[in-house]
Parts: sequence; C-alpha cells; structure tokens
Amino acid sequence: MLRQRCLIQLTKQCISRQSLLKKNVNVTFCKLQYRYNSDAKERKFTDRHEWVVVKDNIGTVGISNYAQESLGDVVFAQLPDVGTEVKAGDECGALESVKAASEIYSPVSGTVTAKNRDVENKPGLINTSCYEKGWLFRLKLSKPEELKDLMTDTQYETFLKTDVEKEH
Amino acid sequence: MAQSVLRKIAMSNMLVMVGLTRRTSSRSLTTGKKLATTKANSVLPPEREVTKSVFMSQSTDIYTNLALEDWMYRNMDFSNHHVMMVWRNEPCVVIGRHQNPWLEANVPFLNDKEIPLARRHSGGGTVYHDRGNLNISFFTPRDRHDRKYNLEIIKRALYRDFGIKALINERHDILVRDKYKISGTAAKLGRTSAYHHCTLLVNANKADLSKALAKREHGIQTKATASTPSPVVNLVDVNNRVTVDNLQIAVGYEFLRTPALHLEDGGENQISKQRGFQFINPTEDWFPGLSELKNELQTWEWSFGRTPEFTVSRSFPVPEDLLAPSKVYSATQELTISMTVEKGLINDVTLNIPPGLVESGFHGEASVITHLKGKRFTSEALTALQEAMLRHTDGEVRKLDDKEQFVAKCFDQVVNTI
Repeated sequence: MLRQRCLIQLTKQCISRQSLLKKNVNVTFCKLQYRYNSDAKERKFTDRHEWVVVKDNIGTVGISNYAQESLGDVVFAQLPDVGTEVKAGDECGALESVKAASEIYSPVSGTVTAKNRDVENKPGLINTSCYEKGWLFRLKLSKPEELKDLMTDTQYETFLKTDVEKEH
Repeated sequence: MAQSVLRKIAMSNMLVMVGLTRRTSSRSLTTGKKLATTKANSVLPPEREVTKSVFMSQSTDIYTNLALEDWMYRNMDFSNHHVMMVWRNEPCVVIGRHQNPWLEANVPFLNDKEIPLARRHSGGGTVYHDRGNLNISFFTPRDRHDRKYNLEIIKRALYRDFGIKALINERHDILVRDKYKISGTAAKLGRTSAYHHCTLLVNANKADLSKALAKREHGIQTKATASTPSPVVNLVDVNNRVTVDNLQIAVGYEFLRTPALHLEDGGENQISKQRGFQFINPTEDWFPGLSELKNELQTWEWSFGRTPEFTVSRSFPVPEDLLAPSKVYSATQELTISMTVEKGLINDVTLNIPPGLVESGFHGEASVITHLKGKRFTSEALTALQEAMLRHTDGEVRKLDDKEQFVAKCFDQVVNTI
C-alpha cells in the first residue's frame, strides 16, 4: 500500500517535472550540441560574468556573452601586463564601453602569461566574438583547485536566469 | 517511433539537468563560502527599504574629491543606502581613465597657469572644472546602477526650481536650448558597487575652459578613448537665478523626494524617510586610507604614466641657412621626429634627417636616440637630448651649434606644444 503510494507520488513528480521543463528541452538540446562541438564544456564562469578555460594549467580569460551585451560597444580594453601576479577576484584591468569603465576581475589566481593584443587594437572583438577572438588574457594557474568554486556552463545559465528573474 | 526517440532524448536531457541542478545546490551548501556570499550579495533589499543621503564634500581639491569618491566606492555598502555626493573644485582638468592627456588637454597652458591635471577612475572624456561647475556623483550597488534615472533627477530639479527645460541625449549629455551641453557623464562599474558622476556648468570660466581643453591638431596616433567636443553653455546664461549653491540644494532635494528605483515625486513624505543632507569633511581621520588614495592620484605615473601607448610624429622645415651652402635641393628639407610612448615614457625614437642637414655636418642621430629611451614625455626628454648632443663631442663643455639647437627646438615643440 505504502509502496504503491510512493510510486504514484514519484510518477506524479516525474510528469510534472516533464511538463515544467518542456520549454527548456529545445534549448538544452542546442546547448548540448554546442558543448560537444567546442571547448565550452570546460568553460567555467564567475558570478561577475568572466569565463576561464584551462588547458595544461594555462587559463584563458574572457567575459561572457551576457556581460558583453550589457556593456554595449567596448571602445577600450585595458589588460594586465605579462608577468603580473593576480589573485582570484583581484581587479586586473578594465573595459570601457560608452563612458563607463568596468573592472575586470580575475576568475583564478596565477601569473599573467599573455594578453590579447588583437583585443587591445580592436576592442570590438569582445562584442563580436566574446568566447573566441575576444579573449582577454592568459595566466598560469597557481591554485587550480579554485576552478571548483566556479560555475559550469549549465550552472551559469541557471544563475543568469535566476538573476534576471530577481530583477523583475 | 521518431517521436518516442525524441522523447527519450528529451527525457535523458531532463535527467541531466535535474542531476546538475541538484549537484549545484548541494555544492553551494557544502563547498566554498564564495557561492553563498555571492547569492547574498545579489539579493538587494526592496525599494522601500533603501534610504538616501546627499553628501556635500567640503573639499575643493580635485585629488581629494576623486580619492573620496574612490574611497566610498571601495569601502561603503550601498545596498540599502544610495548616496549622491555634490562637490566642486578649484580650476583643474580631469581626463577619463583611458585617455591621453597630451592629446586631450593643453598641457603647456596648464603648466603655465598651474592648473592641475587629474586622471579619474571612470571612463569617458575630458572636462574642465572650476568653482562655477557643480559635480554630482551617484553611488549605488552595481546591479542598481541607472544613469538615466540619475540624469532625470537633475533634469527634474532644473525644471522644478528654475523652469529650465533640459533634454538628455543618447550620449547621456544633458542639453539645453536643443544643442548646448551643460553636463557630461562618466561611470565606473565594479563587482558590487558602481558610481556615475557628471558635471554641471553653472558659471564656469568658458574662456579658460576652451583654452585648457584646446586639442592637438594632429601628430598623435593612439587607441585611447577620445573626447567628443561639444558646444557648451553656462546655466546662468539660461536663467540668471542659478548658482552652484542653490543648484546643489535643488538637485539634492529632488534626489531625496524621489524613491530609490523609479521616478516619481514622493514629496515631503519621501524626504522625511531619507537620511538627508550631510556635510563631509574628507580627511584621513574620517576616511582611513584616503590620503594613500589621494597620493596615488597625484603621481605622475597615474596621471600621465597610465596613458595608453601612442605614437607622435611631426615634421619641421629646415631653415635655409642651416643647409649645406652652395647646394640646391629639389624637395623641401624637413626634419621628421617620430616617437612611440609607452606608459608615458619614450620607447622608440626615429629621426628622419634630410640630406641637406646631414651634408651641412649634423650627425648626432645615434646618441640622440639611445639617450631618449625611457625618459618621460616631458621637458625631461628635452634636457636629455641636449646633454646627449653635447656629450657627442667628448670632453669639453660647449654650446650647442645652430643645427643642434634647431633639432632641440623641434623636439621641444613635439613635447611641449599642442
């Protein structure tokens, strides 16, 4: 009897979840495809909309599409110099869009090994290609374990949704 | 069949999603405080719980006021307390965070008149301040940064108290009489806090303003943010009752009578809920760490050294009497000086010496270049150049000959004129 009830409950839950999530199904499917086609599955995000992809302990840092959109046209990129040591959460540069300077924070700790000269010369790349050509700087990670504290692609999507909902 | 396969895919995706969300939630409970604090930060109190203050800075020193702004931005929590600060300065020129002072301001004029030049932390273009200019800063949490709201407050105050009709354009300038700018805007956005500040021309010295901001016509190439010069007008010329003092009170009250997140006249009732006007004395005692911020703003390394890399290039015709005599040159003989400047320091110099000058016996080139590297893009470089040319004739102290003097003069013009 009890077991039966449990079963019914579970089925109910399952059905309600299914209908609730139906809207997301298509999106999720696209996401998955995107994820398997690029390195996005390795991409980690901060709550301040920076991303980092790590390969051989070298992290490449940029800003998310959401950040790029909310900034508007980037007209100047001030990036950290090679050799700069940064801690996770440190200010390490700024992006200027129309009259506003927005700080860039490093998602992880490490030593800067490269900055994207192309972005310095053509800051608009951040708007047109924020995950590829619009990367900002690379750094050698000193505390790779910090990556655990960052959000995965999916978590970040959820984070954005809840954040936006809160605003309204 | 196909449908059921699709459904299966959908189901499996769903499970993945559910699994992930579960993992997220369990993780934020167990690991890192970070996520937990993040969540706490992003929950801002409802509008009715936000109170407002108007701070009135008692300093008229640009570096102190910029440091105070930065101090507040770094140290204060604006989640349930929005602050507007009003301040003014003795004559000075303020450039945007990513600008080139040699391009945006008339540096020789400023030196001559002893007008300080300051680089602020926010973006945007160059402005001139004096006691006839009111500065207004709005501090909010980053997620509640709303420039349009702030400018509307000013616009409403101008109308309510002085009957001045203003409009806000897409560049966030405030204009009167359709096209005359009275206010320029800039902002800084950080992790948790943000501020937006703007100028309001009340009765500034327009002659000094245009002299101080006279731009270099040509010769500098850079990626630095450029200013957009606009025709300006003083508010006192629109309505002669406006003064900096009564304008700051008018804007202050307008800010206090408006709820924190939307534009609506809350009247006296709203004002009574706020924290009101407060005089602020920006000293180290009140704001520990303020003097350090101020000192940094005053360094050459910040104001000039933070200039984005640029190149400057200018050509000067060589006077005939310096050319080799008894020769006829087909083209104009021009000396071209090109320099790249990084962090305000000369990095690379190219001297293009016309044949006429070489044939008449000028040969200081190599030493000139080596001695200039690493020198500041100021008269310091000129002194270094003169010494280099002197050392060229080893030993004895002597005067620069005519040709060397000419090169030095050209060099002086590259550095010291606009």
